[in-house]
Amino acid sequence: MSAHTSGHLRLVPATAEPKPQKTFCGHCGVEPDSDVYGRVCESCGLGVLLTANADAAPGPDDAFMIVDSSLCVCAVSRMAEDLLGAEETEAVNRHLSEFLVPADAEAAGADNLMDLVINAAGDTSETSVAVVRPPDEFGIRLRVQVGACGPPRAALLVLSDGWD
Amino acid sequence: MPAGGMQLAPTLPSDVRTLKTSEAAALLNVSPNTLRAWERRFGYPQPQRSPGKHRLYTHGEVAALRDALQEGLSISSAVSRAREALSADTNVLVGALHSFELERADGAMEAALALRSVERSVEEVLLPSLRELAARHGVDSAPWAFAARWANDWLQRAQRLAPPPTRPASVLIGDATRDEIDPDSLDVRALELFCARAGARVLPLPVRGITGLPEVLGAFAPHAVVIAGGHVPDDDVARWAYGVRSAAGPLPIALFRRGARDDRVRTTGARILAESPGDAHREVMGMIEARQSRPAVATPTPANTEIGTEAEDAPELRRRSVGL
Repeated sequence: MSAHTSGHLRLVPATAEPKPQKTFCGHCGVEPDSDVYGRVCESCGLGVLLTANADAAPGPDDAFMIVDSSLCVCAVSRMAEDLLGAEETEAVNRHLSEFLVPADAEAAGADNLMDLVINAAGDTSETSVAVVRPPDEFGIRLRVQVGACGPPRAALLVLSDGWD
Repeated sequence: MPAGGMQLAPTLPSDVRTLKTSEAAALLNVSPNTLRAWERRFGYPQPQRSPGKHRLYTHGEVAALRDALQEGLSISSAVSRAREALSADTNVLVGALHSFELERADGAMEAALALRSVERSVEEVLLPSLRELAARHGVDSAPWAFAARWANDWLQRAQRLAPPPTRPASVLIGDATRDEIDPDSLDVRALELFCARAGARVLPLPVRGITGLPEVLGAFAPHAVVIAGGHVPDDDVARWAYGVRSAAGPLPIALFRRGARDDRVRTTGARILAESPGDAHREVMGMIEARQSRPAVATPTPANTEIGTEAEDAPELRRRSVGL
């Protein structure tokens, strides 16, 4: 520490503006009508309300999953149930790899799907994109956008089959 | 409090806190429709029914879900957490009996009763824990005998604390188990407890005792007979059932945990009850209600008896007549 500093902590300006947040239902993807809401979605009653960066948050037409840092599935949206052919009640507490595996054979290290998910469920606020497929299915490729959501903190995987 | 003491009073069913649908929904901050949707989709919380058939939720189950929702990322995961919290009682009871700690075993059941009715505590905690111990040690082991004796004692204590009979229903239970460490014995005691708590008078008698049966049944006047347990041979049970019929007249008869005897009972009208004491006691009460709602019949004859046949003196037919 230099001589002219007194050892007191000083407030410093944030280096980045906080990103706009969006609240959505973890099952139907719908945004609550009002600013005052409880823990459970009033629209479908089958999901809890979560918050994510607006650019990473899903909408009602998106298929998405929520996965914790131990790679256990915590929620599966209504559209993802159709896409993956698995009901949320059966999928919860199972490992992500039972539903999705990396489809990009070249990806390694931080690009690996599981690493992206662990980082998103941990402390990374950046959104990443990977290519995945269902296990035992080689003709299907899905684009997955991996971001963070909560509370409690978890990874949000928004699935799509479009590449635009 | 010493093990074996009366510890049930504060948590008997009248003290088990239950919530109406609107109250449970308010506690969870959801609508009653959402709560019913959760029951259909997740099977949780699982309400009991009031005498008027309205849903009654156990406060403990709803509170466990409310807490789990704060940490859950979906309703499914919250339900899973809530169930885990409730199943902790089973682990505690298994642990306590495994280490021969009777006070801790009593405490585990007290904790279970704080969240559930007596019936559900028995069916969801006590019986599964004992089954796990039986699988772990074998039913001819000393640890099993220790645990089974404690469980028998607990069930009998609970029965002594059951409210007095409230309906005109008397159930005679012919105990065909070996002894109190027979694995079926706990289910039979549970059936007795559930029938007593449903308001019926219950009289368990060993099926080997025939002497003096008419005097006992003259005073007890059973409305239904349940032969429970699979240890005593058919011939002995048949003799006892014949004695019951001779003393008390034709009665509906049912078999509980008597083993695979479907072929032999199919033509005799004896009913095989569900394996679970909870389901079985509902069936027994249903049998009595059905019989009581029937118009009165003429003096019984062998042709219209429910457990008799026209040739009751023939031992083989006598055996068939009680559905064995």
